Amino acid sequence: MTDDANLPSELEELDRSLREIRFAARASFGPELLGRLRRGERSKGAVPPGRRRSAFLGLAASLVIAAGTVLVLRGPPQIVVDRCCYDLDGGGDADDGVLILAQRNARVHRLRVYEDLDGSGSYTAGDLVRLDRGARPAVHGLAGEGIVTVEQCCLDFDGGGPDDDGLLVIAVPPERVVMAAIYERGPEPSDSRAAAGTFPLR
Amino acid sequence: MSHPSPVHNPETPAAPGPLPEAEALCRDWFEAHGTAVYNYFRFHVPLPDVAEDLTAETFFKVVRAAARFDPERGTAKTWILTVARNVLTDWRRRARLRQYVSIGTMHDLACDAPSPEERLLKEEEVGRMLDAVATLAAADRELIGLRYGSGLDSAEMAQVLGISEGNVRMRLWRVLGRLRKVLGQ
Repeated sequence: MTDDANLPSELEELDRSLREIRFAARASFGPELLGRLRRGERSKGAVPPGRRRSAFLGLAASLVIAAGTVLVLRGPPQIVVDRCCYDLDGGGDADDGVLILAQRNARVHRLRVYEDLDGSGSYTAGDLVRLDRGARPAVHGLAGEGIVTVEQCCLDFDGGGPDDDGLLVIAVPPERVVMAAIYERGPEPSDSRAAAGTFPLR
Repeated sequence: MSHPSPVHNPETPAAPGPLPEAEALCRDWFEAHGTAVYNYFRFHVPLPDVAEDLTAETFFKVVRAAARFDPERGTAKTWILTVARNVLTDWRRRARLRQYVSIGTMHDLACDAPSPEERLLKEEEVGRMLDAVATLAAADRELIGLRYGSGLDSAEMAQVLGISEGNVRMRLWRVLGRLRKVLGQ
């Protein structure tokens, strides 16, 4: 491209590598899309004109109910975060996921480590639960020899927004998970001895 | 049975009306810019299926809103990519409660590697680069997606982002510098 004539030389290789990345949708994708349009399919955000008024009234009623509910409950929002797929049990395959029910950017209520048996990339009823814990991190069973720790950092595991959370899993390969917890990663401590206490497990 | 004549120039569409005309419009725009839109999404989402859904959603919206397209203000490509950016923003908002971040598959990578081993290496290299892109701030990823996913030049990016061309170039170079550090080059 002509407008890259002044691209710094040290960036040229990266620029070239990125330009070479090309993806191609399935050949049938275009005809499928046209077929969906032909059948009158609308976008997810589209509302048929005749239903706009009732949709507006419904929305207004929902807002009133939601506002009332918030006033009654006054609790921070709970979110579900599903992350997959990593090797969390030390088995060698990146086929494990973690399902976390948490108050946004705060407490963890439930944490489940699962093996994604059906390869869906998310937790489903057919997956094998390796560990299921409540609000507090705890070691399940005795940790004998061959214990491994697996750490995934940094992603948004608690729905807080930034990718500043880590996931720590203790496992006995190939399939036992004995502990899992998340932590929020703050600034790097200047004193390495303070590191353990800097990121409390949740 | 006669239908309204299809739109042959995707930059100067007829006003949308009956379905066959909208269909022709969608087909022409999709043929001209579908790959750019799909690649834009592939720089932002790890799964081909999600990129296809978002591309379809973009073209549904584009056809519905075609009457609002003003060729005086920019090309169809930059307008469609503006719609695509909004679709991506909506999807991120919807996906917030249940986030799927999977190791992406690369079966849709366009690659003429002569052997499966070389293709695998290429997929790993691209995966490493996209993982690095994913660590950037949202605004930085946007620049990378528009430039390298959609193939926009600086003038087109300036239209989509509402900033000057010089600003686009300066920001893009800074982002490339950050990306280079992430990749350890």
